[in-house]
Amino acid sequence: MLDLLFDSSFAASVPRFVTPILLAALGGALCERAGVFNIALEGFILVGAFFAVLGSYFTGSPWFGALAAILAGIGMGLIFAEFNLRRGGDPIVVSIAINLLAAGLTTYLLRAIFDVIGAFTDPNIVGFRPIKVPVIESIPLLGPILSGQPILFYVALAAVPAVHYFLARHRLGLRMRAAGENAAALQAGGVSPQKVRLWALVACGMLCGLAGAQLSIANVSLFVENMSAGRGWIAVVAVLLTRGRPLPLFLIAVIFGAVDSFSFRVQGLGLAQQFTDMMPYLATLLMLVGLSWWRRRQEV
Amino acid sequence: MRVALSGITVRFGELMAVDDVSLTIEPGEIHAILGENGAGKTTLMNALFGLVRLAAGTITIDGTERRWSSPQDAIRAGLGMVHQHFMLQDTMTVLENIVLCAEPVGRLGFVDFATARRRLHEKAETHGISLPLGRQVGALSVGEKQVVEILKLLYRDAEVLILDEPTSVLTPEEKDRLFSVLRSFRAEGKAIVLITHKLDEVMESADRVSVMRGGRLVSSSPLAATSKERIGREIIGGELPSPRTRGEYRPGETVLSVEGLRIASRAGSVGPISFEVRAGEILGIAGVSGNGQAELVQALVGLKRPLSGEIALFGRRLDTLDIAARRRIGMSYIPEDRQRTGLALAATVSENANAGREDARAYTRGPFLNRAAMARFARGLIDRYRIRVAGPHARAATMSGGNKQKLVVGRELARATPLTIAENPTWGVDIGAMDFIHGELMRMRDEGHAVLLVSTELDEILALSDRILVMYEGRIAGEVAGREADRERIGRLMTSRAEALPEVA
Repeated sequence: MLDLLFDSSFAASVPRFVTPILLAALGGALCERAGVFNIALEGFILVGAFFAVLGSYFTGSPWFGALAAILAGIGMGLIFAEFNLRRGGDPIVVSIAINLLAAGLTTYLLRAIFDVIGAFTDPNIVGFRPIKVPVIESIPLLGPILSGQPILFYVALAAVPAVHYFLARHRLGLRMRAAGENAAALQAGGVSPQKVRLWALVACGMLCGLAGAQLSIANVSLFVENMSAGRGWIAVVAVLLTRGRPLPLFLIAVIFGAVDSFSFRVQGLGLAQQFTDMMPYLATLLMLVGLSWWRRRQEV
Repeated sequence: MRVALSGITVRFGELMAVDDVSLTIEPGEIHAILGENGAGKTTLMNALFGLVRLAAGTITIDGTERRWSSPQDAIRAGLGMVHQHFMLQDTMTVLENIVLCAEPVGRLGFVDFATARRRLHEKAETHGISLPLGRQVGALSVGEKQVVEILKLLYRDAEVLILDEPTSVLTPEEKDRLFSVLRSFRAEGKAIVLITHKLDEVMESADRVSVMRGGRLVSSSPLAATSKERIGREIIGGELPSPRTRGEYRPGETVLSVEGLRIASRAGSVGPISFEVRAGEILGIAGVSGNGQAELVQALVGLKRPLSGEIALFGRRLDTLDIAARRRIGMSYIPEDRQRTGLALAATVSENANAGREDARAYTRGPFLNRAAMARFARGLIDRYRIRVAGPHARAATMSGGNKQKLVVGRELARATPLTIAENPTWGVDIGAMDFIHGELMRMRDEGHAVLLVSTELDEILALSDRILVMYEGRIAGEVAGREADRERIGRLMTSRAEALPEVA
């Protein structure tokens, strides 16, 4: 029984689930650190997923698909910035609006452009191929996990130290942290916190766009309505749990990814889908409880 | 660098915060700007710094008229300001705080911390400043935080340094160190503007004194050409208050009793602490900031649950009751932090003045608030305490620090409860307001109420207290009767050499 659950193909599938959560959460982390309460990651991802398919379908290249996803993500970031930063809209209201907009927009475009309802699949959608990494491939146990994954998995892995280093050492990273912690001080220093936050939203849009691309043109080669399926929310939880610190974020994303993958797996064993779908959220709850218990112990 | 202000005028709605002020800031001079809270000192400097819009007037630097579109312009021109409330990032290191907004960048926009460190070392050394650059700012003492702020200015090569109430949070030694650094700056030809209301410091260190009152400039003259008495009169626009006379000390029944109280704190725990406060007395708790006073007060008012021990008001146990219940039984609280604990800054003056009275019959109409009665009460406080604000419906945030404090004191003392707990009640407040607040606390005592005064200002403790407890490292280091209190004895108790001294019962 356990062998069935935890075989090597299970291990190899984990990165596919980790990647979108990790990419989106890193984007969310930038917003969190810069003081933008962005819980619209779900919508950002969904739009990214759609445009990845669109780009790939019309150009025949997954690279252009990813580029389209990035641009679409940036567009979503700019919409958020316009309503939250410039017009002073409440970030929760703006987030809800953007999540609803993303769901409606992708459904509408699916119909308007491809003339389908529900799902769009076509041989012209070219997805990313798995990449075999020569030496790592032959490592026992880790080999099938770290090798043979689509490019975006490696991008996500590289993005963890990159975002960490960016926040620690880059001028804009420093200013983002300042905007998140004491924006008045940043302002008094002559730097506009809003401009800094705009960059955080742009970067978040890019990363979420890639997260969407991973879902639609790397894991599969198709677009399904609402295919982000709560991963943006899981990413939000990961960001809040870790207060936007990239390294712990990586750990949390791996755990969530593994649970996500696991829930897929047990579905194949005949467990009710309604139950398996709950698993990522149960894991979230457990982690929230565990973390607050641990923090309270730290305080005493 | 010579800065000339001419005809500067700033309006906040109907309030003329600064009214046609002209003065010159000369290089190589310490220029003190004195005045009561709300006299417009800070606003004038904010205007010079490009933080508020000018209704009229010009700023001239070295003969050329300048206009700022943002503070960044003023910083580039060589102006630097240390705000009264520090502008620091607590989770960042000292070095990160200093370079923020003026980062030296290397490849791809990454910050070149090595260069910054080198540059800073040179500058700091010439003025005899040392600070661990890698420490987190949140872990520093208030005095050290101020040094970070000064290093920020030094790093940016500021030629004109504006310091807003720089000494209100410092210990005496820190104060001395600050002034020696400022004198070193002066020797280098920098201009230093000191916004303050502490006359003694001005007499010791300033070269030129300007006095503001009600938004206008009253006088601006070299220190040698004026006197302490004259400046004092100019500040308040009349004679200085005479020393206070106090009624006879006749302690009544025990109001508050604390027995074996222990409270958790960041450094471990505070206590055990035992003491009593009786009706008709002011019990002063002296001590250097951070020796457990904050935890003690939090436990008394109910903001923090003690680890063990008893708190009783008129013999009734309080330690299991919540804040509202304690206040109902007879406790008022003037908190140290008026910005966060004392007031809701986004709410109006009227709403703040009536906080805690939402249930009182006089201020409600059935389930609704009686706005008119609330405003009437607020207006009463504004008149009685001479609070400078546009009106009861202005936001609390629009008041200056001293006026905020007056509002808090007024709200709490109007309740006339048997016990008042006052925590640094005149922190950052001008002479006039301080005198008034002291008078109010004394009135409470003379009317037979109990007052617990927790203060780090020894002068305040000595001026008001009937009995004095000194706290050191979370415990009561000793007790001194108010009348026989001498500074040195309390000073010794405040700095650990307490065990050697016999206790005075």
